[in-house]
Amino acid sequence: MNVLEIRNLTKKFGDFIAVDNMNLSVREGEIFGFLGANGAGKSTTINMISSLLRISKGEIQLLGRDIVKENKFAKMNIGIVPQDLAIYEEMSAYENVSFFAGLYGLRGSLLKERTEEALEFVGLGDKHKALPKSFSGGMKRRLNIACAIAHRPKLIIMDEPTVGIDPQSRNYILNSVKKLNQMGCSVIYTSHYMEEVEEICTRIAIVDHGKIIAEGTKEQLKSIITDTKETWIGVRNPERLDLDALKRISGVNSVRLEEQTVKIVSRGEINNLNWVIQQLIGDQVEISSVEEQAPNLETVFLTLTGRNLRD
Amino acid sequence: MNVLRIALFEIKKDLRDRRTLLFMLAFPIVLILILGTALTNAFNSGIEVGDMKLLVNNTAQNQQLQSYWNGFAQAIGREGVEVTPAANDIKGKEAVQDNQFTAYAEIDDNGIRFYGSSRETISSNIIQGMLTSFADKYSLAAAAVRNNPEAAEGIIAGSTSAGSFVQESSLDPDRKPGSIDYYAIAQSTMIALYACMSASWLIRGEVKRKTALRLAAAPVGKLEIFAGKVIASSIINFLCILAVVLFSKYAFGANWGHHLGFVFLLLFTEVLLAVSFGLGVAFLFKDESVNAVMMLFVQLASMFGGAYFPVDEASGFFSGLANVSPLRWANEALMNLIYNDDLNAVFPVIGLNTAIAAAFLAFVAITMRKREAF
Repeated sequence: MNVLEIRNLTKKFGDFIAVDNMNLSVREGEIFGFLGANGAGKSTTINMISSLLRISKGEIQLLGRDIVKENKFAKMNIGIVPQDLAIYEEMSAYENVSFFAGLYGLRGSLLKERTEEALEFVGLGDKHKALPKSFSGGMKRRLNIACAIAHRPKLIIMDEPTVGIDPQSRNYILNSVKKLNQMGCSVIYTSHYMEEVEEICTRIAIVDHGKIIAEGTKEQLKSIITDTKETWIGVRNPERLDLDALKRISGVNSVRLEEQTVKIVSRGEINNLNWVIQQLIGDQVEISSVEEQAPNLETVFLTLTGRNLRD
Repeated sequence: MNVLRIALFEIKKDLRDRRTLLFMLAFPIVLILILGTALTNAFNSGIEVGDMKLLVNNTAQNQQLQSYWNGFAQAIGREGVEVTPAANDIKGKEAVQDNQFTAYAEIDDNGIRFYGSSRETISSNIIQGMLTSFADKYSLAAAAVRNNPEAAEGIIAGSTSAGSFVQESSLDPDRKPGSIDYYAIAQSTMIALYACMSASWLIRGEVKRKTALRLAAAPVGKLEIFAGKVIASSIINFLCILAVVLFSKYAFGANWGHHLGFVFLLLFTEVLLAVSFGLGVAFLFKDESVNAVMMLFVQLASMFGGAYFPVDEASGFFSGLANVSPLRWANEALMNLIYNDDLNAVFPVIGLNTAIAAAFLAFVAITMRKREAF
């Protein structure tokens, strides 16, 4: 069964079409990765799902019910973890979670129980009296999650929940997402960190210019780009590189330099490695390593959108 | 229920904001103390009321009324009121507005119409009291003439004796505001107006803090959020005013009169006016301009409304500005309530404050409903 069904969804701001006739479904019990560069239409879609923006055209169904006609039902069953921290710094962790959970109709002992449960879940049970202004970035992010889950939503939308935190907190959050999923929640997960998406998402959609341009499991997406390959060449003196000359080599789709590694995406059927090496030697670039990469999501995204995820 | 939940949360949050709370409480109390002490001489209760000039346009044909009036005019002349008959071409109301006269009265066979100066409120109130007394006694005498002519003579004789026109209460020096009394009122009404500053953040703050996203995503109507916040802001600001009033009354001995209930009612409507105005401005102007607009409004309204110095003597353009300051309305009404026991002075201001507040709240509610998210 689909938790979320989006049909012909369109959002216009004046003449600008932010989301263009989008179709998408999220199945019950999956962690659905929603990828797109800035301005691709990802946040607009999420905002329409969570009723923050009105729909210009099309429809969204949550658990088979129209979210516009049955708005309260939809809101009761969605939990949103916004990209920005949405907490009250002057109120304790407990008061924050309890306040938001209370808006979902929880009262009395049930409210207390669910608030404590949510704080325990994100590892802030012993900090429930503390004010968020005394928290680290990672703890605030976890509180941000607790505020979204205390009412036990069926669908949780997480918009870049790991931005700007240390690796330890990131791991904690990723494990929490997996645990929530095991407890029966479906999750829509957006991130600029491709490795996170690869690690936790069961299915992924790539959105560009307001449209879904690819959708499927990691393996399905990677199989889309069998016609390209990526070569990573380690160099010791990158200042001598002539990237434009590399781009002009036959079969090269894109070239980018990341620290001391040149990443070259080429058409699959063309063997141009000799020419690339010759160009580098001609430019007196010292080569330290050469690796042929198996396609990954980063390559898929770059190939399909022409942009890096972090652009 | 959600409204109550939101309101309680907001109140709790505001109570934790110690800086704002301290400002709302300490600022007026310190100003009452400083201004009230420094300007004691300016509020000396022994100062005599200045020249009282009454312009009269008497077109009454009734001989009896003319006769009573002449006797009355002589009597109040002895009390220090200069009565000037209006020339044919003079425009009485404008003459009072130009500060040439304290008050203007039109007398004909149907009665007396009175127009008092808004600058010299005490003097014009005294004259109004005298004229009211005259009208009452004349009506009584006219009725007596028909039934008991002897009694009528006594009434007429009484009506032309000096000092019998104004109740003692309004001339009792002990019931004039001293400097502490004045600033207790002026600072309380001023701090009530400051509620607009915090109110402008009620919705804007949620947007800045990003919590608006969560509120909008929750199964709560925008109007519930709006109502909860307005209630909370009105209550918390009113509690601050309440504390300032009670502190000034018991710590400084400021005179708040015998109608504290009406005093608080008026102050509450002023808080409501300020809160709704703050919200309205936050929706009318771009974010970066809101603070500047608020600060400008509060400072001008305070200055021209008499928060720092009495504005009875203002004239021309400044007088016009003073008259549109909500502080001026509130201060005048409270002065009349406290020193003249004039309950009727309070109701128009309560009505005006409530009406303006309702207009702003309706504007904000409609704008909020139309907007996507907040």
